[in-house]
Order: sequence, then C-alpha cells, then structure tokens
Amino acid sequence: MEKEAIIRFERVTKIYDGQVVLDDISFDIERGKFYTLLGPSGCGKTTILRLIAGFTEPTEGTIYFHGKPVNHIPANKRQVNTVFQDYALFPHLNVFENVAFGLRIKKKKQAEIREKVMEALRFVNLEGYENRSVQEMSGGQRQRVAIARAIVNEPEVLLLDEPLSALDLKLRTEMQYELRELQRRLGITFIFVTHDQEEALAMSDQIFVLNKGKIQQSGTPKEIYDEPVNRFVADFIGESNILRGVMLKDYLVEFAGKRFMCVDKGFRPNEPVDVVIRPEDLQITTRAQGKLQVRVDSQLFRGVHYELCCYDEDGNEWLVHSTKKAEVGEEIGLYFDPEAIHVMRISEEDGEKIDEN
Amino acid sequence: MRSNHKWGKVYLAVVFVILYMPIVYLIYYSFNSGGTMHDFEGVTLDWYKEVLHDTRLWIIVLNTITIALLSSAISTILGVMGALAIYYVKSWRMKQILLMLNNVLIVSPDVIIGASFLILFTMIGIQLGFTSVLLSHIAFSVPIVVLMVLPKLQEMSSTLIDAARDLGANQWDVLTKVVLPYITPGIFAGFFMALTYSLDDFAVTFFVTGNGFSTLSVEIYSRARQGISLSINALSALLFLLTIALVIGYYFISQKSAVSGMGGRRR
Ligand SMILES: Nc1ncnc2c1ncn2[C@@H]1O[C@H](COP(=O)(O)OP(=O)(O)O)[C@@H](O)[C@H]1O
Ligand SMILES: [Mg+2]
Repeated sequence: MEKEAIIRFERVTKIYDGQVVLDDISFDIERGKFYTLLGPSGCGKTTILRLIAGFTEPTEGTIYFHGKPVNHIPANKRQVNTVFQDYALFPHLNVFENVAFGLRIKKKKQAEIREKVMEALRFVNLEGYENRSVQEMSGGQRQRVAIARAIVNEPEVLLLDEPLSALDLKLRTEMQYELRELQRRLGITFIFVTHDQEEALAMSDQIFVLNKGKIQQSGTPKEIYDEPVNRFVADFIGESNILRGVMLKDYLVEFAGKRFMCVDKGFRPNEPVDVVIRPEDLQITTRAQGKLQVRVDSQLFRGVHYELCCYDEDGNEWLVHSTKKAEVGEEIGLYFDPEAIHVMRISEEDGEKIDEN
Repeated sequence: MRSNHKWGKVYLAVVFVILYMPIVYLIYYSFNSGGTMHDFEGVTLDWYKEVLHDTRLWIIVLNTITIALLSSAISTILGVMGALAIYYVKSWRMKQILLMLNNVLIVSPDVIIGASFLILFTMIGIQLGFTSVLLSHIAFSVPIVVLMVLPKLQEMSSTLIDAARDLGANQWDVLTKVVLPYITPGIFAGFFMALTYSLDDFAVTFFVTGNGFSTLSVEIYSRARQGISLSINALSALLFLLTIALVIGYYFISQKSAVSGMGGRRR
C-alpha cells in the first residue's frame, strides 16, 4: 500500500434481524479523494455510511481510522460528518444556529463560531441567509445548509447520502459541479452515495459498485465504464449489449454464432463468458461490410444521437447509438473494432440469474 | 350541498345556545338584587362585593391556584420524562403496555381514582389536606402530559438525533439541544391541559381533601348545598371569565409556537 488509508474496512459484515446487509466487505479510503458508493436501492450504501459515521457497529470485521480500530467508538467522537439524505436540519434553529451546532457543542468562543459559520456559509453560497428559518428555505438551499453544517467542523471525511436525489434535474447538475469543486477546494475526502450511474461517473475519483451487500467492482469511472468485471456492473453502469459467449483461446471469442478477434486473454480455453459491447462502439454500415447483420426494429432520436434497437438472425437484441439515421425495417451491418469487445468472467450470481430466466 | 351547509350551521348554533344557556342564566342572576334565581328585581353588584370581601374564599382561591400550578409543573416534568421513557423503550410490546397503562389512567372515572387515592392515603398514613390533594392532582395529570408530548416525539425524524450525534453531541446535548426544543409545543400543551384539569377537578379532590383544606370547586359545591346565595353566581361568573382568559392566552401561545415552529422568522 503506497498511501496511508484514512479509513479501512476489513472483512466487515453487517446483519440486521438475520438479513445479511453487508457481506464481507473490505476497502481502503485514502486522503483527499472523491469516492462514490454506487448501487441500486437497498444494496447497503447507507449502511456503509452509518458504519463509518458510527451510528451502528459491524456484526463482524473491523473498521480502522488511521490504523486504529474504531468499532466501538461512538459517532460523537469521530472525525467525520454526514450530510443526511433528508438533510436532518434542526427545525427549531435558524440557518446560523444550525451551522453553528457542532461548534457550540465543542464550546468554541463566540467570535470564532461567528467567523467559521460565516465562512462555511460563504463556501456554499448562502451569505446573507444566516437569520432565515430553515423551513423557509428551498430544497437546494437546505441542502447547502446541511453541507455547511458538516464542513464547518473541518472533518477529515465528509459522508454524503444521496444528497442530490431530492433535487430537480437542472439543480442537480449544478450541484454536481459545485460539490466536486467544493471537494477540490477543501481537499478532504468525500464519500458520496448515489444510485445514479451518470452522477457517479461524472463526479468520482473512485467508484465502488455495490450489489446485494457486496462490492462488485472498484475503480476509476473510466475503468468501471470500459472494463466492467461482470454482467451486473456492465448493465448497471450504462446501456450495454451483453451476450453469452465462449472464449475459444486468447484473443479469439465466439458469440452471436460468429468468431471475433478481441484484445482479452487469460481465460481457460473454451471458457463460457459474458461479452459486452457498448452501443456507441457500434457503427452502421452496409450488410457486406458489417461484422454483424441485423434488422432495425425501432429508432429513437435522442438529441446527440439516434438510438436504434436491432435484432440479428439469432434473435439477439443490439442497441446502437449512431449519429447516422437508419430506416426501421432496414437490413444493415454493424461494424466494431476488436477493442470494443469486452470479455467478462461469469460470476456465480449471474449463473443463477440465467437459470431463473 | 349548500343547504346542508346551512342546516349544519343552524344545528351548531342551537347546540351552542343550549350549552351556554345555563352559564348565561347563572351570570344574569348574579346581578339580581332580589336574591333569588327567578324574579329579577334590579341590577346590583352586591354579590360581587360579598365575594370580594370573603377572605376565606380568597384563601381557597389561592389554594386552588397553588395546587394547580404546582401539580401541573411537577406533572409536566414527570410526564415529559415518562414520554421520553416510552419513546426510548426498544421493545414494541413494552411500549404498547406502557401506553395502555397510561391511557387507562386517563379514561378511568374520577370517582375511582379519588376513592382509590383516599384508600391509599389513609393506608400509608398521609394526612388529608394540601399534600394529598397535590399528590392526587399530579397523579391524574401525568398521563395527560404524556399523551400530549408523545406524538411530538414520534413525529420527530430519528435522523435528527443522528445528525446531532454526528456533530459531536453526547446524550445530554441531544436531549437538551434537540429533543426538548423540538417537543416544546407539546410540553406547553401538556402543561396547560394539566392546569385546566387541576383547576376544575371536583371528584378526585372531594375524596382526598380534609382538615379544612378546600379548593374552589369543592367549596362552591358545599356552599351550594347549604342554601342559595347569589354570591355563588357571582363567583362562578368570575371563574368563567378567568377560564375564557386562560383559553385565549393558551390560543395565543400555541399560535406563536406554531408559527415559529413552522416557518416564522426568528431574529
Ligand atoms: N436499522 C435497520 N434495521 C433493519 N434492517 C435495516 C436497517 N437499516 C437498513 N436495513 C436493511 O438493510 C438493507 C440495506 O439498506 P440500506 O443500507 O439503507 O440500503 P441503500 O442505502 O443502499 O438503499 C435494506 O434491505 C434495509 O431494509
Ligand atoms: Mg440509502
């Protein structure tokens, strides 16, 4: 390990009423990065934040802060702060007092409190709002108050639980930029929770993709997008064409009834695999020039591109994003580079899924 | 639809007239110089003068107010503690049992409460008088306070407590800086309810009072039994005014706390 980890999860399991919510999870969180926990609702994202914040203890395994186990250290003694999903602002306090709450608990001097609160409010662009009641604020403003209330305590790690999910699309995009910018300026670690893959890809240094209480994959947005390790990640992280195939040997894969050159290696000979091709990596050409021959079933205009839904002779569905238009019912060819093919091992879980179908 | 509305109003008006008629009747005759409740002879304030010069009565008024304020203050403290205890109890079953015990106390007839307190006090040897009345008033007020405070606790989002702990608050800070301020409207409501219940309680007090100690309702009852004097009418009129003043006062206080709780500007 090159860099010192601020937070480390070592084989952490959390069980609620006999239900395994987190299953043997290990990861490291480093200083100054923007992390995202990405996964569908109910996969255990909030539970991870609650474990880090200290609202609940792991059933098994150990959580370390700077190398020291903190399993039994209560929330009020930890150097992390949380921005809650419902903001959890104190309704009986105005904006200033909400932000000042943590400093007052620490018995700071009035002058220092005033200075820090004002600075925090400036950071989140809420100058002049300090005397407002929090009930008068809009959703976006409340959220900023919640962020200010957390960062005013100068935590080493800021936890954000789906902070943008309650905002409308425009405000949300705006806040994505602002949050990323805020993290850069503060230089502290953010752990951000979302179920929105675009948000995760846009904002993070590092993404943990979660499903059913397990980390499916961790990596940079580009790694996750370009090289998903399994069907779940490939599917969750954006629209994809995912097919069953067989890895005949290194650099040669068979799917859709044909053999293709690819850039993947290191599989057993004739190992069954999942194959991913992103819709934007498929190009429309003539039948003769295409590596695949398909018929256009439907077409949607999506602004920057057309989204085509096609079927090949075997009945596999192919999603294509193309700037070129095609006719519905037209027979076309699809061309792609060997690099566009991404081969993945089949995980046990996916095997079950196939059996169900 | 429209005529339904109209009949509804008429009905309401009739109900109110019937409900308020005896009070108005009583107050009307408190100005009667004739000394009876059937022939109105002339307007006089004599009965009010008599009330004002009745020192025994004023001592009793003082007693009543002392008992009411003391018992409602103490029962507010106990009731808030009780509500917090019920709120913090983890087991669902235990919570339901505690709630049920609380509600049983509220609905059980005053006569039974009074009688059982009388038995209790004589058994353990507490002299009937100020202490016994105070204790029994506290006892029947606590469940009322619990009932007023608990809903506020339950509507409070649990992430509010998490947020406070996250910001470094210990259990005591959480209680004093978050939970208590949040439920303050409920605490006020509970206090005023306890106050009014104590002020106008007759049955329980009647059982447990003694040694010359008396409260207004008991006193009025015993005077009314001795014979008709219109000074009782005058006294009742004054009490009625006081009640109205209390209700209006409570209305303004709850309005204010509702406003500041729901988006009023605080400076
Ligand atoms: N306090 C709790 N008691 C019982 N089950 C819980 C509790 N908190 C979370 N769970 C369960 O754990 C699972 C994961 O929850 P959560 O971490 O909130 O998911 P996410 O935030 O990813 O949507 C859910 O199935 C939820 O029902
Ligand atoms: Mg969640």
